[in-house]
Amino acid sequence: MLQFETTEMQKTPRADLLTRHTKKVLKGNSAAAIAAKLSKVSLVTAYPITPQTSIIEEITNMIASGEFDAESVNMESEHSVFAALIGASLAGERVFTATSGQGLFYAHEVLHAIAHMRLPVVACNVGRPSFPWNIWADQTDSISQRDTGWVQYYCESSQEVMDTIIQSYRLAEKLKLPVMVVLDAFYMSHTSENVYIPDQKMVNEFCPPREKMDDQIDLEHPKAFGGLVGPDMYDKYNRLYWESIRKVESETIQLGNEFDKTFGRKYAAVEAVNIHEKTEKILVTMASVTTTARQIVNRHPEVGLLKIRLFKPFPKKSVLSVLDNVSGDCAIINIDRNYPGDTEGALMQEMKRALHGTPYNIFGVYTGLGGRDVSSKTIEKIIESDFDKTGIDGVIWMT
Amino acid sequence: MIPENEFLITEENMYSGALSCRGCGWTLLARYVSSVMGPKTVYVVPACCFSIIAGPNPMNLLKGSVVHTVFAAAAATATGVRRALDRQGKTDANVVVLAGDGGTFDIGLQALSGAAARQENIVFICNNNGAYMNTGVQSSTGTPTGARTTTDPQGKKLPAKNLMGIIEAHNIPYSATASPAFLMDLKSKLEKAREASGFRFLMVDGPCPPGHKHDPDRSIELARLAVETNYFPLFETENGQFNITYTPKTQVPVSEYLKHQGRFANVMQDESNNGLQIIQQQVDQNWKHLSSKQNLN
Repeated sequence: MLQFETTEMQKTPRADLLTRHTKKVLKGNSAAAIAAKLSKVSLVTAYPITPQTSIIEEITNMIASGEFDAESVNMESEHSVFAALIGASLAGERVFTATSGQGLFYAHEVLHAIAHMRLPVVACNVGRPSFPWNIWADQTDSISQRDTGWVQYYCESSQEVMDTIIQSYRLAEKLKLPVMVVLDAFYMSHTSENVYIPDQKMVNEFCPPREKMDDQIDLEHPKAFGGLVGPDMYDKYNRLYWESIRKVESETIQLGNEFDKTFGRKYAAVEAVNIHEKTEKILVTMASVTTTARQIVNRHPEVGLLKIRLFKPFPKKSVLSVLDNVSGDCAIINIDRNYPGDTEGALMQEMKRALHGTPYNIFGVYTGLGGRDVSSKTIEKIIESDFDKTGIDGVIWMT
Repeated sequence: MIPENEFLITEENMYSGALSCRGCGWTLLARYVSSVMGPKTVYVVPACCFSIIAGPNPMNLLKGSVVHTVFAAAAATATGVRRALDRQGKTDANVVVLAGDGGTFDIGLQALSGAAARQENIVFICNNNGAYMNTGVQSSTGTPTGARTTTDPQGKKLPAKNLMGIIEAHNIPYSATASPAFLMDLKSKLEKAREASGFRFLMVDGPCPPGHKHDPDRSIELARLAVETNYFPLFETENGQFNITYTPKTQVPVSEYLKHQGRFANVMQDESNNGLQIIQQQVDQNWKHLSSKQNLN
């Protein structure tokens, strides 16, 4: 099957729901902007950074033309972009922003504050790395925000970006957790593909307006938010956070099923392709590399593909359940398009953690950094690699 | 030298039990501010002494909503609150930032400038005590010449940043300096700030006994001397119109203000009087500059 056919199959709604969608050719960034509108976001803060910029441009244009009813504020930095979202979200608005690379790094401190003030913020990150200057596809920026407490989804297509943003508001507002929706720079942000845009009515049904929370600014019942806490309270708040973050994986699956019922497209925490009892190797991927790997896996009956959609918190249960019938000899090969300054990439680290105590051989590949193309050939080379021989402690640096 | 001080707290919007040091200017200021702004106010507080004074979670010193936020971005968080309230039709609520000089002159300046340039409809109040007092008296760019801090143990050499000049350059509808020793002046300025719309800025002199090293019962007396010596002049700019709001009747040398404060001990004990002369010169030049601005009107 061709790559095009595989991805088309992925996103085409069920036949009975086709008429409730409009098919358009959209860039990933446009899909994100339209998703914010469909989700009835009421306040957006903006600051430009390549390759995210067209998301906020499209949003502000839709607001200016009157087709998107929201408030948009041009801030003076990403730090302020996220700090303003604290105020607006705490006052009860459904908020959105988008950023990339340095912008996300700059906002790091505020990401922690948003998460631990339990604000249901949804932000889109178009992944790019840090220094030396590079603006191309790379997940180092969002990977380095792993410990901020934000839920992270990595998307494979423009369709998935749109659908995931809509689902994210449901998750964020139910669990009071912020969500980061990640797509790859240029390969997704600036690449056009078919997208089925759902009717506004369907989205309204799936994602009703934000409900009033107990813990938000109420002028009639004033409170203080975010004040100093001693060790006891700090411990208590973090325990509550832990209890909520533990629900994310099952909520993601449940929301994915519900989304399928309404829109005819199914999502989960992970996706398994061609994984069975005789699988010898499994490629573990995130975002656009998954699409390339799909067609290669088609040619290799012995090679499976495990796409990680929910990266944070890492969906350990889903991963283990995919491997349920897979032999212990199977090699798990993690494709890391991020460099966290460590001997192993982030995906390999997380998979090792998830598979602790299992017999699997876990390997890793650093590839596609700073926008280097991960082509079909690269995937073939990865499949053919002998990690025991050529890898350094199981890791190959693939150029 | 006794100014009008009949600031009647007509509406008490602060609870007792503020966690401040004795003689703290912050607490007095918060009491006056909350009285004028009323309970339908959202206060946004970056890291500063007031983060502590306002009380630990979930306590709240003020009869009003308080949002504690990150050090560098009080004006940005206030922007978010304001825009959200406006969208909800709650345009009559006040949004007031209560920041220290670090969160205004230094780390908070970018967000402050951004919000001022956007003409966000908020009131930004800086309690200027001239150093990072909450962390134990480190120099900020608001620290004045000669003041001893833990990071300028021999006294700061350079003068404080002219923040009011920076603020004025944003062409906002209202900006002013104020003092807890001139309460009618403070009240009038708070009311003007409340009534104006757009970005409004107040810088209030902040007596700080542990930071400035003086007896707590001298706080107001010293704040008064700061004005009487022209060390902390009182002025406002209302829709572009500059106005000195208090002119001392007699010329009091700046040493009268400095000599009661341990932070200026190096200056006062220096027999050459060099430091004192430099500070007096700065004060005289600043007053001359302000007076000539006044004459332009």
